[in-house]
Order: sequence, then C-alpha cells, then structure tokens
Amino acid sequence: MKSLDPRVSRLPETGNSSPKVPLDQFGTFEVFVQPKEGKPFQHEGIVHAPNLEMAYVLAKEAFTRRFTCISIFVTETRNVYVSALTDGDEDAYDHVTKVASTSGKETFEIFHLLKRGKQHQHVGKVEAGSHNEALWVASQQLRGNKQVFNIWAIKTSGIRFTKQEDLDLWNTLGEKKFRDAAAYKGGDKLKSFLEKTAQQ
Amino acid sequence: MYGGGNTFEGIKSDELTGEDPVKLAEFEARIERGEKIEPSDWMPKLYRKQLIRMIEQHAHSEIIGALPEGTWITRAPGFKRKMALMAKVQDEVGHGQLLYSAAETLGKSREAMIDDLINGKSKYSNIFNYPTFTWADCCFISWLVDAGAIVNQLANAKGSYGPYCRALDRICAEESFHLKYGHHCVIYLASGTQKQRDMFQEALNRWWPPMMHFFGPSDKISVHTEILMKWKVKMGTNDDMRNQFLDMYVPKIWELGFTIPDPNLKKNTETGRWDYTEPDWEEFKRVINGDGPCNSERLEVRRIAEERGRWVREALRTAKTEYVTPLA
Ligand SMILES: [Fe+2]
Ligand SMILES: [Fe+2]
Ligand SMILES: [Fe+2]
Repeated sequence: MKSLDPRVSRLPETGNSSPKVPLDQFGTFEVFVQPKEGKPFQHEGIVHAPNLEMAYVLAKEAFTRRFTCISIFVTETRNVYVSALTDGDEDAYDHVTKVASTSGKETFEIFHLLKRGKQHQHVGKVEAGSHNEALWVASQQLRGNKQVFNIWAIKTSGIRFTKQEDLDLWNTLGEKKFRDAAAYKGGDKLKSFLEKTAQQ
Repeated sequence: MYGGGNTFEGIKSDELTGEDPVKLAEFEARIERGEKIEPSDWMPKLYRKQLIRMIEQHAHSEIIGALPEGTWITRAPGFKRKMALMAKVQDEVGHGQLLYSAAETLGKSREAMIDDLINGKSKYSNIFNYPTFTWADCCFISWLVDAGAIVNQLANAKGSYGPYCRALDRICAEESFHLKYGHHCVIYLASGTQKQRDMFQEALNRWWPPMMHFFGPSDKISVHTEILMKWKVKMGTNDDMRNQFLDMYVPKIWELGFTIPDPNLKKNTETGRWDYTEPDWEEFKRVINGDGPCNSERLEVRRIAEERGRWVREALRTAKTEYVTPLA
C-alpha cells in the first residue's frame, strides 16, 4: 500500500477484502473503581477479555489512567445478579421477597443504584446460600433510608481484587504530568508573540 | 476525537407505528423531565436504532482518528512532543473502547460493529479520510479537530441515553489535555520561524474545507431529525454546532496571525452568526461514500490489524468466558 506513513507502506498486503472470519467473542467483564480511601467502589464500565486476569489488566488501562484511584476490581458480567430497575418512588427492595435460608453459605458483594443516570456503588457484604437470598439478607442488613433503584449482588469468589503488586500503576500516576492539560500552558509564549507582532 | 455531522438515516413516516402509545408517552415524559434512559428501560425501536448508529460511528471515529495523528508519533519534534502525542493517541483509542461498550448496551455486539467498519458498511468521521502531510497537519488535528469534537461531545453529554452520557463525561475530561496540547503546539509553530509559520498556514489551508464539513451538511439540506432532537439523541443542529465552533476558535486562529482560506468568513453583526462560503457538500458526499484521499488506506490498515491479530485472539480464546450484553 502506498502511504505517507512509512509504517503503513511496509505492511504486507492482505490481498483480500473478504469479510472477517467470525470469531467467538471474548467475555464481558464489569469494572469497579475505588477513587479514594474511604470512598465506595463504583461501577465504571466494561472490558472484553479472554479471562479474569486479562480483564483486570485491561480495566486498569481503560479506566484508571487519569483519575485518582487506589483500587479496582473486575468480575464477569454474567456473575452479576441484577434486581428489577424501579421508577418514581418505588424502591427496588420492595420487590425482594423472603427466601428460605439454605446451607452452604457464600459471601456476596452488594451494590446500590441511588440515582437514575448514575452508577452502582458498593454498600457491603452479606452471607447467603443463593443470589436471591443475598438480596433478601441485604434488605435486612444493608437497606438504608435512601431509595434504591436497583440492586446488584456478586459472589465475592468471582471477583479479581487488587493485590499489593498491582499498585505501581497508580503510584506513578503523579509523575505522568505530560498527560495533564496543566502541562501545556502556552500563555507566556503567546503573550510575548503578540507583543512582538504588535511592535512590527 | 469525533466528527459530528453524524449521518443519520432518513426516518420513514411509519417507523413509530406499532409502538405502544402508553409506553412511548412514558418514555418521552422521562426525557422531558431530564432523566436518563437506561439499557433495561423500554425504548422505541427507532431510538435504539439511531443511537446504535450514532454511538457506533463515534467509536469508529476515535479508532480511525488515531491513524492520521498516530503516524506522526515517530516523527514528532522532540521527546516531549512524542510522549504527549503517544498519550493522546492512546486516549483516542481508549475513547473508542468506552464508546463501543456504550453502543453494546443497546444490543449490537462489538464484533458486529468491527465487521461493519472494515467491510465499509459503517461510517466514521469524514475528516479522517484526509492525509497528514506535515507535522503541522498533525497539530491542526490535535488542536482544531479535537476542538470541533469537544463542541459535539459536550453537547451530546447532555443527551438522554445514560451509558453514552457517562462515557462522554469520561472522554471530555481527557479532551481538555488534547485541546491544550494542540493549542500549545500551534502557538510554538506560530511564534517560530517563517518556515514554521508557513507550514501551519499551509496545513490550515488544506484542512479548512474538511473542518467545515466536520459538523455535517447544512440544516437546509440535512435529513429531518426533529424527533431525534426531541428524544435528545441529537443535541443541536449541524449549523448550530458549526457556528459555536467558529465563535470559539476563529478569533484564536486570527490572534496567531493566520488567515482562514474563506474570503466570506465573518461574523454577521445582525444575526450574531457566522457567514461563510457554503462548503462543497458534493465533495463531502463523495468522500463519505468512499472516494476520499485516504478512505481505502484507513480501512485497509484496520483490516490488516484484524487479520494479523487473529492468531492472538484465537490463542487466548477459551470456552470459559462468554460474550454477554454489558449491563450499564
Ligand atoms: Fe477522543
Ligand atoms: Fe480527537
Ligand atoms: Fe481527543
């Protein structure tokens, strides 16, 4: 291919314009970010990845390159158990019914959506035998006085948390000033240029 | 980076028939109240279709838009400029990721979107079909094409679809770096040698017509989008966006002593809007339909990347994870 870009000119021609071969897609993972000590983890978005570990790496790249962050966690989308989304002054917990307690308890992380248009925030953990039971236990233990529009429950065992050795990226964020708008103050240069041209 | 002037499909008069009138009224009332629509909410088919189209085009524009600037990373003047440009291009690709995710919540898979891009079915911002001959072209993009993108993105961030707005909030926060960096580059060229000044003036002359195209066809000839404005999918007319851009940036370009290659460009004191020579919309259509200087190169680069990366995806793929529509 003839291009102004030498790297493009060097590319091997594929010589075919046939449609891309269908490939099963990677899984979908939900990403949660904790901006500061004492602040809850908040849902930020998704990444696609072949496994949980790669999802964690990609989540760091996609969501934590700029803003202060001390920790993230990721889990597969299909691990997220979602309550009904409510409206008006209806609380999502009003739809949660009592579930008989079963044996074989596991830990679940519970998230609340407190405002439509915003994102889910982590509110705590519960012990339960199923997702449904987790919502019921949450209604007893974690329901505050604010209206909740939507509840998520995620098995703690399916989450990739941040480890000590992952922290480097965020510890060095402060050094990467060249990605801040504040590093590009052209005001002085502009001023002296304008003064010079005014004299001419 | 993002070209406005999305090519919305013409809306047929029967596209709203068959929608439940009660649900439609609730949906419109929610938007009217300024609430966001979330993926699990009921929405008209037309809303879903046009949003997918718009967000997908925006995502493709970020990915393709990384190419004309990316080509200058190795040749950027000095270490600092290289670092900055690398970070900017990385941001743009990241914006693509965020936007694909938002579009996916509406039910179109990312793979289908990539397929449509490399097969030429989906559009992306027309301006990236033009070449960056010199470093000054690259600076024009960083400053002014990004400025145009920001005008669009800030408006769209107030739209009605929750996941798109949240992606845009994150994107806009990074764009402030792009804009400042771009302006910084141009100030340095402007206050440099005569040769540097000439270089930017020439780039400006080349890029002005596509920059005017960037916001899409004039309101007089563009497809009717009243319903999309009512649903807060489209947040301003093409001419409004163009005018806002001219208001903000023409004075800054003139301040640096450059000329804009349009003898009719001036602010009309009566209307408060800018007068300009009507852009060549035939050229715009020709380029958007594939006949621009770089269309085939842009798509071919993506196609080659897709093919050369296939073995990696195949090696990594496991049956254990599964693609599902993202939640929010
Ligand atoms: Fe961007
Ligand atoms: Fe950009
Ligand atoms: Fe940008």
